Amino acid sequence: MKFLGLIFKNVRRNAIRSTLTAVGTMVLVFVVTLVWSILNFLDAVTAEKTDNLKAIVTERWQIPSQMPFSYADSLSDGAARDASDVRPLDSMTWQFYGGTVDPAKKTIENMLFAFAMEPDKVGSMLDELELNSLPAAKADSLRESIACLKDKRSGIIVGREKLAQIHKRVGDRFKLTSMNYKDIDLEFEVVGVFPDGRYDKSAVMNRDYLNAALDAYPRSHAGQKHPLADKTLNLVWLRVPDVLAFNTVQEQITKSPFYTSPAVKCETSSSGIATFLEAYRDLIWGMRWLLAPAILLTLSLVIANAISISVRERRLEFAVLRVLGFRPLQVLALVVGEAVLLGAGSGLFSTLATYTLINKVMGGINFPIAFFGAFFIPMQAIWWGLAIGVFTALAGSVVPAISASSIRVTEAFSKVA
Amino acid sequence: MTDAIDFAVKLLDIHRYFQRGSERLDVLHGLTLQVPYGEFLALMGPSGSGKTTLLNLIAGLDKPSRGEVWVGDDRISDYPESRLTRWRTRNIGFIFQFYHLLPVLTAFENVELPLLLLPLSARQRRERIQTALDIVGLSHRLYHRPGQMSGGEQQRVGIARAIVTDPKLIIADEPTGDLDARSAQEILNLMKELKESLHKSILMVTHDPRAARQADRMLFLDKGGLVDKPPDSFLLDPHEAIA
Repeated sequence: MKFLGLIFKNVRRNAIRSTLTAVGTMVLVFVVTLVWSILNFLDAVTAEKTDNLKAIVTERWQIPSQMPFSYADSLSDGAARDASDVRPLDSMTWQFYGGTVDPAKKTIENMLFAFAMEPDKVGSMLDELELNSLPAAKADSLRESIACLKDKRSGIIVGREKLAQIHKRVGDRFKLTSMNYKDIDLEFEVVGVFPDGRYDKSAVMNRDYLNAALDAYPRSHAGQKHPLADKTLNLVWLRVPDVLAFNTVQEQITKSPFYTSPAVKCETSSSGIATFLEAYRDLIWGMRWLLAPAILLTLSLVIANAISISVRERRLEFAVLRVLGFRPLQVLALVVGEAVLLGAGSGLFSTLATYTLINKVMGGINFPIAFFGAFFIPMQAIWWGLAIGVFTALAGSVVPAISASSIRVTEAFSKVA
Repeated sequence: MTDAIDFAVKLLDIHRYFQRGSERLDVLHGLTLQVPYGEFLALMGPSGSGKTTLLNLIAGLDKPSRGEVWVGDDRISDYPESRLTRWRTRNIGFIFQFYHLLPVLTAFENVELPLLLLPLSARQRRERIQTALDIVGLSHRLYHRPGQMSGGEQQRVGIARAIVTDPKLIIADEPTGDLDARSAQEILNLMKELKESLHKSILMVTHDPRAARQADRMLFLDKGGLVDKPPDSFLLDPHEAIA
């Protein structure tokens, strides 16, 4: 502790160099934080759970999965037929409906994709929106939105960022010109906004609204069904209590004679998501094993360079400290301490700034992988910056610190003596 | 074992050589020297005469190839490196030609440096620092950095740093070499004052005959040994030498 003041003052010795090193560290920690946040999220969603896990049912042989809606009820029940069969704790169906508010000039901003689902399932099955785990105020607001969605079939709940992009507010009405269901253009009324976070760019509509439109389609098209009429069910999510229940439900579904055209498969949500991510495998591998390590190495070299210059300039000073009685280990600690202070301070500041910028200002990182629209910086990332700063500072300063601690004490005396 | 307690410094048959490849470079050979307590000794000699090597040996920064180095009752030539390092903090005060103050630290903090290595409380350190800076007449410059002080003032801070641990011996390496005549004289007066009032033993290496003349005794080193008379290269009245 006695040396802390000395370390602080030495960091401030060359303000320009220290500032440049800190800025370099902050930029690199920023990039690592972004990369690790994405990897951390993907790891979390693909990690196998052992209890209260989600299963995902999709078409077996095709991506995107397009099953007939007639599968919905029985799949939601886990294909249970007998009283002794295992039934899921909960379920939800997903039908994707996408369109644009400006068909004359389609842009990413004026496009909107919604999950068509049962309104009640929003608060029980959507990750991070479970009403019993949300803060009271957010839960109340979401509960109110869900009630409106149930009451008003043309209602839609939209994420805050998407709502801003299409220049709408709660209560506004708009028409979506469909991009995946040709001629099924729907009018919506915004009945609520998702809590800030993962669903900022998402939307949920009442599935009955889409299905009613598809049912009505033949009346205006000479009795012809919509080309996608039997392909509207994209995913079915099931919640099961444990792995044993999952295995049983999986067997019930795969052995059921009912799901043959098309055939379906049932897997854990993590393995289902992993399947989606298979297409990005090389990209994710590169981020994890090339990009992040390369940045960490670069960061260590930046710090090593700055500390080496500093040590070279202060050789005489270290010799004087040794003459005064500082032991080699103490000189080493002084040099490493300076690097660690600089690295830890700028690393921590960088992740705090990244957390605030990405989560609070930008509303997530736009990095469209699979069906994940935006990624957020997790709270624990704040400590990553500290850890990265300390680790890279240690790695970068060890060699210059050893050099400083092994300076010959006799260098302190005048060469002419 | 030789009894060295009567002397601040006692060197017995010191040899120091360095191996450069296959060549052996003899820097000091058979040097014997005794410095009584409280003596202000000036050491002179041409470049390459072995002054620095001698200084390093007495200060515990180097070890002789042969012979004994005593400082007070410590036979430091036998001490291992780690013990020598600790010993230096308590027993030797260093004054350098170019002051060697840390530019980022105030006078107070520079003087505090060696005290950080001793088991003293912050209050004890503060008291010692203030006393040391009082002695050198800089109690009004506690919080000035080296860059805000003249050369003479910086050297005073250097002297305060040298005495703050209350060492047995002060080693001064060209202490006036970077100062104008007036500041140099002030520093020499201060060193004499340290010797008189604090009874410090002082060993000063200098090239300046005027500075050397103010010591109690002058010694001349030439070609690795002490000589009775200054080498020809020194423009010094031989009558003034008290070798």
